Amino acid sequence: MAYNFSPDSEPTTRTLLRQVLDTAVPRTPRRARSTRSGCWSLHSAQRDLLETPSSRRQRSQTKMTARRRSHTATSVDRLARVQASGHLEEQTPRTLLKNIILTAPESSIVMPEAVVKLVPSPQVVQPSRRKSSRGSLELQLPELEPPTTLAPGLLAPGRRKQRLRLSEFQQGMDWGHLSQEPRENADASSLTSSLNLTFAMPLQPQSVKRPGLARRPPTRRVVDVGTFLQDLRDTSLTVAPPGESHRTPVATVPMDTVLEDTQPFSQPLAGHSPSVHHSLPCPSPSGAKEVEGAASRRTRSSGPGLQNSYSGPGKPAQLLARKMEEVEAIAMGLPNTSSVSGEDGIEPLQNGVGEEAEESMEESMSVREVEKAAEEQGSARAEEPEGHTEVAAAAGSLGAIEAKEPEGSSEDEDTSASPELPPSTPEFLRTRRLQFPEPAPPPSTAVLPSELPKHLSARIPPRPRIPGSRPRQDPNKAGLNHYAKLFSFYAKMPMEKKAEEMVEKCLDKYFQHLCNDLEVFAAHAGRKTVRPEDLELLLRRQGLVTDQVSLHVLVERHLPLEYRQLLIPCAFSGNSVFPSQ
Amino acid sequence: MEEEEWSEEQQRFSYLQRLKAAVHYTVGCLCEEVASDKDMQFSKQTIAAISEVTFGQCENFAKDLEMFARHAKRSTINTEDVKLLARRSHSLLKYITEKNEDIAQLNLEKKAKKKKKLEDENRNSVESAEAGVEESEN
Repeated sequence: MAYNFSPDSEPTTRTLLRQVLDTAVPRTPRRARSTRSGCWSLHSAQRDLLETPSSRRQRSQTKMTARRRSHTATSVDRLARVQASGHLEEQTPRTLLKNIILTAPESSIVMPEAVVKLVPSPQVVQPSRRKSSRGSLELQLPELEPPTTLAPGLLAPGRRKQRLRLSEFQQGMDWGHLSQEPRENADASSLTSSLNLTFAMPLQPQSVKRPGLARRPPTRRVVDVGTFLQDLRDTSLTVAPPGESHRTPVATVPMDTVLEDTQPFSQPLAGHSPSVHHSLPCPSPSGAKEVEGAASRRTRSSGPGLQNSYSGPGKPAQLLARKMEEVEAIAMGLPNTSSVSGEDGIEPLQNGVGEEAEESMEESMSVREVEKAAEEQGSARAEEPEGHTEVAAAAGSLGAIEAKEPEGSSEDEDTSASPELPPSTPEFLRTRRLQFPEPAPPPSTAVLPSELPKHLSARIPPRPRIPGSRPRQDPNKAGLNHYAKLFSFYAKMPMEKKAEEMVEKCLDKYFQHLCNDLEVFAAHAGRKTVRPEDLELLLRRQGLVTDQVSLHVLVERHLPLEYRQLLIPCAFSGNSVFPSQ
Repeated sequence: MEEEEWSEEQQRFSYLQRLKAAVHYTVGCLCEEVASDKDMQFSKQTIAAISEVTFGQCENFAKDLEMFARHAKRSTINTEDVKLLARRSHSLLKYITEKNEDIAQLNLEKKAKKKKKLEDENRNSVESAEAGVEESEN
């Protein structure tokens, strides 16, 4: 009987119980088979034990089947008697535990001691003093991965996000204090059978081979309580007033990293180089803020967004040289020190920068801004339109920005084009933004029915250039930036900037071509508006819609429900079908 | 039953083969012309490849034309459909439109001629009828 540790390093409940049964010395069952029903009413301690395993069981069910078979094969002979009694084909933790109870001797119940440590290295936690003293059955169980069975009443079922809280909690707690509770629970139980389980970390091999889709064991870091508490203080301080204080570039470094890391309790300390974070100055924090989408918050969020652009690529060398503690100390010491002029200069930039996703633009901006803070108003105004257009390109969808959009685009674009553009760009971009949450570009053509009537009605002119202003991108072309980024994301290897630009150009031509086709199709049918039939024709020509695969199938496959019900009205609750238009 | 289907299949297959052979022959002739024109030789594989591609494209064209006609809610394929099909390449489109105009003119002329003929015939028939009537009357 060997520990069959499958290559998967996570010991799940069932394996653990299996192993317990394997290692347990078979003793005479204390109860007859008829008491199986009685065994179902396990006492509360074990029930608590079971609750968490069952919750975890659901998670790891798929892993169990393979292991189960292997285990049942080995231990069949051993538990022949026990198996004969119950329906052990199910092999649920409950049944396994029941068998354990059957075979376990009488002794006082001690809650299994779960180890809540964040050390990934395999450690064998010594069983507590009480357990070792007993001569009763001592079962060495490997630690349950999210260690929760310790005090079910005290700790929530283990989640990784709470592990830091747990660690602190435990460090402050006495072991004996904890174990008293389960004992009380146990005593209150009806059954007097006992379990003497100790949980210990399994002797995991250092190099765990992970087959294809197995999950990586969570990397846990040693928590230093002092730094952790300081972190808590700092994060609470920095997150709470996001845009008001810390306008200085120095102060934004901790915020920078804190904001970019979506997990609130992750360690922004010196372990990770700030350069890693600075290489992505804005997309993540701006991306995080996109979700919120309130106009008022825009200025606030753009503040830190600005600050990030200030701090990030502006003075990378200096920031790298500093240690986090020093920076934080300085940040704490500088409350709301923002020059008024700088603030004015920041304001339009805030509105302009907003929800940007362009790194290059930000870098160029920030480099300039960092140097002269108060005198940037002139260039700030000039950059504002660029910011507007970039904002237009970004995937964030804020109504306020849309309102700004027409202003920006109308000031910048030619007057000849302006009457057409302002009404068209918001719609176009709005529908573009609606497209963004979509999964992949090919289905985007299916979305075009809603988009195209507006798009085609306003022809987009070639981008005019106002002399004196920086070369801006066509706001509609900049919308392709998102697709280019998607492309580079799925490309599985890093892409050059030029390659991205090429992709953008190709996408631009492609979409123009598609829209031309659609227009021609509509004209061919004697119509002036593009209708879904035109799109079906287009998709048919592309080969996406065939005799086997109809448009409806594609729609159902790729579109989210909100769009799908525009094309295929479906019945909602109450069986009221929305009328098809 | 199965034999019927099988024979149908065979017929269709042989039909396809004949068509392909015809296309191949035509492509060969054209290639010979071009070869004599440009003083370059065409290998057999090239001609075979071109004819295969042509055949495949013809299939595509036919399907597209049918789709276009159906899209315009017609049951006959029109010159409009052909123009839509050829819009990709500019030169081809120009050529086709020119030809289209020529044909349209021809049609007009034909129609004009036909109208005259019809009128003449009508007159003749009327005259003959009148003559007949007169004769009968007389």
